[in-house]
Amino acid sequence: MTLHDDNGLFRNARRVYRASGAALIFVLFFIPIAYAVMISLESGTHFLNHPLVPQAVPTFQNFSAAWSQGDLGPELLNTILYSFVAAGISTALSVLLAFPISRALIKGSSALYRSFVIGICLPLPIIPLFVESRMLHLFDNRLGYIILHVEVGIPLGVLLLGAFIGSIPKELDEAAWLDGAGYLKYLAKIIVPLAWPSIIIIFLYSMLGVWNDIIGPIVFLATPSLFPVTRGVYNFYGTNQSEAPLLAAAVVIVSLPVVALFVMSQRQLLRSAMGSGVRARPNEL
Amino acid sequence: MWLGLFIGLAVYALFGIAPAVGNALISVSNYSGLIGSHTSFIGFHNYLALFTTQRPGFISSLTETLFFVVGVTVVQNALGMLMAHRLQGDTRGASLLRILVFLPIVLGVTVVGLIWLFLFDPSTGPAADALRSLGVQSAFFGSNSWAMPLVIIVQVWQNLGFTMVVFIGGLRAIPRDVYEAASLDGISRFRRFTRITWPLMAPSVTVNVLFAVIGSLTTYNLIYVLTTGLYNTNTLGMFSFNSAFGSSADLGLGAAVTTVLLILTILVALPVASLLRARERRILQ
Repeated sequence: MTLHDDNGLFRNARRVYRASGAALIFVLFFIPIAYAVMISLESGTHFLNHPLVPQAVPTFQNFSAAWSQGDLGPELLNTILYSFVAAGISTALSVLLAFPISRALIKGSSALYRSFVIGICLPLPIIPLFVESRMLHLFDNRLGYIILHVEVGIPLGVLLLGAFIGSIPKELDEAAWLDGAGYLKYLAKIIVPLAWPSIIIIFLYSMLGVWNDIIGPIVFLATPSLFPVTRGVYNFYGTNQSEAPLLAAAVVIVSLPVVALFVMSQRQLLRSAMGSGVRARPNEL
Repeated sequence: MWLGLFIGLAVYALFGIAPAVGNALISVSNYSGLIGSHTSFIGFHNYLALFTTQRPGFISSLTETLFFVVGVTVVQNALGMLMAHRLQGDTRGASLLRILVFLPIVLGVTVVGLIWLFLFDPSTGPAADALRSLGVQSAFFGSNSWAMPLVIIVQVWQNLGFTMVVFIGGLRAIPRDVYEAASLDGISRFRRFTRITWPLMAPSVTVNVLFAVIGSLTTYNLIYVLTTGLYNTNTLGMFSFNSAFGSSADLGLGAAVTTVLLILTILVALPVASLLRARERRILQ
């Protein structure tokens, strides 16, 4: 027996199935986040007595308490500084590397390219980086923390940008150089505007990487005033484990900036992820 | 003119290449990183210690890694495929759900980890309440039998958005006329999936399987937030981190574990990659 598309009964069954699938996805991804937001608006006693019932009149007391007790303000500033500066430098260096490598202007371009691919796939050697941070005086200071995070975004940045620059015709370079445009001027005036969508993606992904890093702040920092929000909130959890509403408020506060950024950039982020599983040239990797 | 390239290469050499070499050097030493301690060359002692009874945690760490990698890869890709199928459309509902499912990637491991620790808090969490009404009690992330399955679920929950969106890209890249030709032949929905959709989205399968395998092998930041590697969740990366930065402060041993993980990653990723690429070539030629 085969299923026919014009069979009304089956069509209805399928519609119900499809709607219930979407509903299930919504529940699985909305409930955990909604739960954290819900308890952040509950007083401690309400949470203990009725954990699953939202409080009739929400309280914002947890937010002010978390903000002052958790040092969230200074930590957010640290996070913003670290992630924007490190991602900015990382993205700029990716452009400056991707162009000569993609055009094979330097010796060993393809070997370098391959080493970036391998580098992405291997575990991050955190122990030698820790030793290096001590030797180079990058340990436990802001500048050092930023420098240690610049490299992380470069391999992926070079690969993504290199692929894009490869699609810009070489004749364009030659024409510009004949016109006497300098190398950097050519990059800034022609390549960067053309590659701007990819550059934004690279910046966003390296920024998110630094923003959400939890291992880095534990290994490379020791002074609490230098902590970014990840380690700050994690420590806050360690000392206030029994006060879920207070902790949830801290989690909501530190999530708001990234969520706002995501709402603005979700179209680009999702589109770039969508393209990564579609291969125009199946013999490359 | 080449200054940018030089800085980029210097950063890569210093923080990309040097740590890789440094890791091998540290792994044959008894370096502790503590001030005043004497460091000497101890040959393959760290490696021998791993495989003999001196380090009983290592063998169980290998099995825990296997469990984690297989669990994450299978569940993430199966669910990612199902959800991609459901949410590939252009409707407003589908695109809003895609954004919701992608959100955990942006929120990062610390926020995601804490949200799930609230949900599965053994005394105040809703999961404990629900199970208590069934007469079951568990410490969840503090339980030897529950922690690993829960960690796998949270890891999948966090990364499912990316997997799903990559699969959607793969689905959308399949030309419409292939389906039209098939519908003229009157094949069933099941065969339409196994004969057309599944083979033609091969590039996205390659990307997703490799991402899941390599990601779950090499990262441990979410595990750190959820359990710090306790309760049978000490995968190799976590084991390496704990050896180096835990109370034993044994950087040499940690580096040796990283080397083992590095070799394991190559031994697993290369055959998986070449199998998947061979499959792509067979289908797409």
